Amino acid sequence: MAEVTIRQLRKSFGSVEVIRGVDIDIPDGEFVVLVGPSGCGKSTLLRMIAGLEDVTAGTIRIGERVVNNLPPAERDIAMVFQNYALYPHKTVAANLAFSLKVRKTDRAVVKERVEQAAETLGLTPYLHRYPRQLSGGQRQRVAMGRAIVRDPQVFLFDEPLSNLDAKLRIQMRTEIKELYQRLGTTTVFVTHDQIEAMTMADKIVVMEDGLVEQVGTPLELFDRPRNVFVATFIGSPAMNLIHGTVRRDGAPHVEANGHRLPVRPDREAPDGHSVIYGVRPEHLDLAEDGGGFPARVAVVEPTGSETLVFLRFGETEVVALFRDRHFFKPGETVHLRPRTDQTHLFDAATGVRL
Amino acid sequence: MSAETGQIFKDAAPDLKFRAKWYTRRVLIYGTLLFWTVICLFPIYWTATTSFKIAPDVMQGHLIPWADFEPAWRGWRSLGLSPQTIFETSTVREEFLKRFTNSVITSLAASALAVVLGSMAAYGLSRFTYRLKFIKNRDISFFFLSQLILPPVVLALPFLVLYKELALLDSHIGLILLYTLMVLPIVIWIMRDQFSAIPVELEEAALVDGLSVWKAFLQIVLPIALPGMIAAFILSLVLCWNEYFFAALLTSTDAKTIPVMVASQTGSQGINWWSMAALSFAAILPLVIIGIVLERFIIKGMAAGAVK
Ligand SMILES: Nc1ncnc2c1ncn2[C@@H]1O[C@H](COP(=O)(O)OP(=O)(O)OP(=O)(O)O)[C@@H](O)[C@H]1O
Ligand SMILES: [Mg+2]
Repeated sequence: MAEVTIRQLRKSFGSVEVIRGVDIDIPDGEFVVLVGPSGCGKSTLLRMIAGLEDVTAGTIRIGERVVNNLPPAERDIAMVFQNYALYPHKTVAANLAFSLKVRKTDRAVVKERVEQAAETLGLTPYLHRYPRQLSGGQRQRVAMGRAIVRDPQVFLFDEPLSNLDAKLRIQMRTEIKELYQRLGTTTVFVTHDQIEAMTMADKIVVMEDGLVEQVGTPLELFDRPRNVFVATFIGSPAMNLIHGTVRRDGAPHVEANGHRLPVRPDREAPDGHSVIYGVRPEHLDLAEDGGGFPARVAVVEPTGSETLVFLRFGETEVVALFRDRHFFKPGETVHLRPRTDQTHLFDAATGVRL
Repeated sequence: MSAETGQIFKDAAPDLKFRAKWYTRRVLIYGTLLFWTVICLFPIYWTATTSFKIAPDVMQGHLIPWADFEPAWRGWRSLGLSPQTIFETSTVREEFLKRFTNSVITSLAASALAVVLGSMAAYGLSRFTYRLKFIKNRDISFFFLSQLILPPVVLALPFLVLYKELALLDSHIGLILLYTLMVLPIVIWIMRDQFSAIPVELEEAALVDGLSVWKAFLQIVLPIALPGMIAAFILSLVLCWNEYFFAALLTSTDAKTIPVMVASQTGSQGINWWSMAALSFAAILPLVIIGIVLERFIIKGMAAGAVK
């Protein structure tokens, strides 16, 4: 096991820079999830850690060593690929044993490790099959088995669950978490699914367009997003964003569409400042007394356990999530009151949290 | 309990109709295949039987041995390969064996060389992006394949001059190099598809698992691409084995191959059908055997996307 330290990392393909100066510290034994929209450079970053892509500038350190110029074989990492990349001409047992055999491990040890991994992953009945004779979930497990037999310094996962159906994906993410808790190996896990990131990570790294937007625990990102991008990327349904102006006459508030939206008094925004006001759908309460701001109901989606309501506040679309059941009619006007403590303010020009 | 046995469920009318349709389809498909097989195999049959005929049988178009005509060893005797002559010295047989060996050497060497070189070229084309100004991978591939469009006659004179200068006329090396060049485009074409069908991640996984680039190629890529390589090798072998034009042009006494010898059987006194048939049959026999033995590799290699 080892920590991974990334400093000012850059990667260009020809004249296009896809990683644009990334710093990440991954302490020993931590489960870090890289998350971000498609094309933001997650895979590229992971492949650079693995040694499958050259480093254009910056350093990658695994444990004590700078690994920039080491081939993948010498980095002591294991990687699970999105399409599993199982060797089609080898049986499951041979796939699992391959990396150990390459390293000239003692036969008895190989046998023991393979059997143990197969047992952990529930692959014992399939050891003599070929990859093509397995289901998607089983192949995925073989790919993980190939990683764990070696007991590497770092596990790298590149969207390992995205080829599975929704139900299996949820089951597997719990199982991977459990496996990690048992092994305690430093893990970097790439996904574009924020729910996967929230549920699995010790620490989430949110990336956009080759840059790290924010690093933090799932709840830190949820409670204190550093900018509009993170605010909308983390959490489902996404945070409501309302354009407005800060007013400091009397109690500080944001004026939007001619209505007053409450803010925490400690926000450092001068009077007249143009801002984006953020509040999550679950932090909007129904104001039966006519307070808050008025919004017109567009669509109601009852899911049984909660009610999702899509509304219009002036021109702005707003989503509200209620724990209890409501039977609104489309076109009806309701009053919503944001919970002052749970509101966010972002600079309208830069998108940065205030 | 009464021990009643016997059928309870029976085919209903639609089942029977379905079965009838199924049978008709089978009969039609296999009938067609059988017909096509006969057409394909007839020339071989004709060649084989003709080598046992004498002049009148050939002329009168007799086809079925013992019924139509009495088989004789005439053709094979002229080659020195009949039971009576096999232990006697025979200049024709020596000549035949020499040509046969020449064909074996040139075809095997050229095909092996072409598969090795072609696979390397194809691997490069499928894995790396080349760019020479406006020329990209696709253009390079097409450039290779376009060599097949040129009629070989165009190259006859230049090669004759070139080989004369290089003292490669009538040598094994000369013919081997030329044949390698001839089959290289096809090998590259086949192997490029083979390598493209293998996901890059497999090699990357092998690198992460601890192999060097070369070992990953040898231990992971090569075994998966092997059926394709064998198919390409066999195809090259067949093409080289049958090649006549350049062999006739560039070889004379030492390096002459079987096809040239077969063609030279048409003497001034007319054609010795029986000996030519015997010779032809002996010439195609190795290919027939290879085809039967390695058939499953050929099919596996030719089927695109065989690797998943
Ligand atoms: N070999 C390459 N050559 C040129 N550009 C590349 C190469 N690999 C990736 N890119 C580009 O780099 C950017 C980042 O790609 P990357 O695969 O890292 O994205 P990602 O975050 O993993 O996205 P996804 O969620 O779709 O997998 C993309 O714009 C992509 O087009
Ligand atoms: Mg990716």
